[in-house]
Amino acid sequence: MSALLSKWFQTIKISWSNLLAYRLNFFLLIIGPAFVFFFVKYNLWYSIFQGDKTILVGGYTLEQMIHYQFFTLITALIAQSSNGMKLSSDIRLGRISVFLIYPFNFWQYHCAHFLAFQSIQVIVGLLSISIFYYLGLIYNLSMTSCIYGFSFCIIVGVLWFSIQYLIGLMAFWLEETWILRVSFLTISNFLSGAIIPLELYPKWLVNGLWYTPFPYLTFVPVKVFQGQFDMVNTAFFVIVFWTFVFACISYFTWRKGLRLYTGAGM
Amino acid sequence: MVIQSRNLQKKYKVFEKHPGIVGSIKNLFHREFTENFAVQPFDLEAHRGEFIGLLGPNGAGKTSLMKMFTGITVPSGGSLQVCGHDPSKREIDFRRKIALVMGQKSQLWWDIPALDSFLLLQKYYELNEVQFQARLSEMAALLDVEKLLKIHVRKLSLGERMKMELIASLLHQPEVIFLDEPTIGLDVIAQEKLRAFLLDYHDKNDTTMVLTSHYMADVEALCDRIVLLLNGSKCFDGNIKQFEQILGKEKYLSFHFSEAVDPQNSIFSGFDPKFSHENSKVELRVPEEKLNEVSLSILQQYTVNDYHTEKLPIERVMKTLLENPEIMKTNVSTT
Repeated sequence: MSALLSKWFQTIKISWSNLLAYRLNFFLLIIGPAFVFFFVKYNLWYSIFQGDKTILVGGYTLEQMIHYQFFTLITALIAQSSNGMKLSSDIRLGRISVFLIYPFNFWQYHCAHFLAFQSIQVIVGLLSISIFYYLGLIYNLSMTSCIYGFSFCIIVGVLWFSIQYLIGLMAFWLEETWILRVSFLTISNFLSGAIIPLELYPKWLVNGLWYTPFPYLTFVPVKVFQGQFDMVNTAFFVIVFWTFVFACISYFTWRKGLRLYTGAGM
Repeated sequence: MVIQSRNLQKKYKVFEKHPGIVGSIKNLFHREFTENFAVQPFDLEAHRGEFIGLLGPNGAGKTSLMKMFTGITVPSGGSLQVCGHDPSKREIDFRRKIALVMGQKSQLWWDIPALDSFLLLQKYYELNEVQFQARLSEMAALLDVEKLLKIHVRKLSLGERMKMELIASLLHQPEVIFLDEPTIGLDVIAQEKLRAFLLDYHDKNDTTMVLTSHYMADVEALCDRIVLLLNGSKCFDGNIKQFEQILGKEKYLSFHFSEAVDPQNSIFSGFDPKFSHENSKVELRVPEEKLNEVSLSILQQYTVNDYHTEKLPIERVMKTLLENPEIMKTNVSTT
């Protein structure tokens, strides 16, 4: 057991070294997309409200909407990852060959890499939330909701990883998986509440969405940060369920895909 | 038996597309494909301590075989056992027993020092600190890379990187090592050093090694057995001496004349003459039994400054076979 743990820990350590080899690139990779997306949304909602702080859209004032969007940014910083990108290039360029030979499985390597990435994301998230709170950009944040929010985001991170992993495995069949990734990200941005809070969607759609992984990727974590804990238990089980589903599909996809693997470039 | 394969096969689907836009649209609805055999039914038995050279032109199926031997790809048919395991099952025990060195693909992490990669492999192969340090320092000393262990891999030269790749593959002392073009792209000195190291390692550890290389110098220096593949099929399996005599017991006879000679002279015909540009040098391929007779008649007819004989080098045998693969149909030799 300790041998297995030391394999995991050493892989996490080497992933940290690898990730931090190009620090600027790495931080741009983590922070860049989330911040750009936030400023796009900020301008979008500012235009919709026409800068008027008194009107209500779907029960939100402009200030509440921007506050909501700050939490979507924090959620993205902690939970979203681009592991699928690395996975698909590993498959396409034949880099998984060495992991088929090492006595440490490919999924274990990627999970350890994810843990390394996630741990840094948590630090970035903590720093960001502290700065936003200090600047007064977020408010009404209790220690309880902060702890709940962070813990919830880490679980959401696992869900994100399981989705990204499955998309990455499609590289066994597809030359490029970025189309799938971008498509999924675009759909999830709309259906997870990352752009528009779910209260603004038709009720029938939202009722249906609760059975999908989407609301749990952004909307629920934001609400947890904002102190609404009533849906935490249900959300936890739904996330575990979907993570399990994606993990099972990934397992069978990997087995099937490996039969097609040609070990390109060797 | 370290490697045993029976009727081992590998086939790939190759999709075909008609040219132009119409072809692209047709391709959306119906994709035509053919099945190409990378490896035709292939039998091999390798024993402990053998050093086998897998030879053949590009696309002959050498690397496809290596991939199946190491469990990277799954055979399309036949049976395969390596170190008592079916490689396609990729059991952890099996993975501990093998190593693969790829000349064209690095297993080291590019952006960190090689030592970090070795430390990771120490954990993966569950080597204790004493074993790890002893093996690392021994190999690093032999390959003269002790001072390079803490340098980022991306900053190493190709030769230095290849040495690190070898260390990474041998740290766990595998029972069988697959070397896929380990000297590709290296300068002559680096190639020689790598060969010397491999030979020394092989002799000390009695490890089974399977090598693919386009450099015949690698094969001559390292391998005691050659397996020749052409179009996915095994055409020859024997030792180097047998391979050298595959085209018959012939030798190369070279003459350096004092002046230009007539290339049309019948004395040269039938011996595959290769004249120099100014016809003052010739190289003949002569059967051993005719060596004296041919030499004597040329020496009597022309003023010769210098002449020498050499056995048909493996490189030339290989070149002749690749240019005339039909030779193998009449000269199949197996041990």
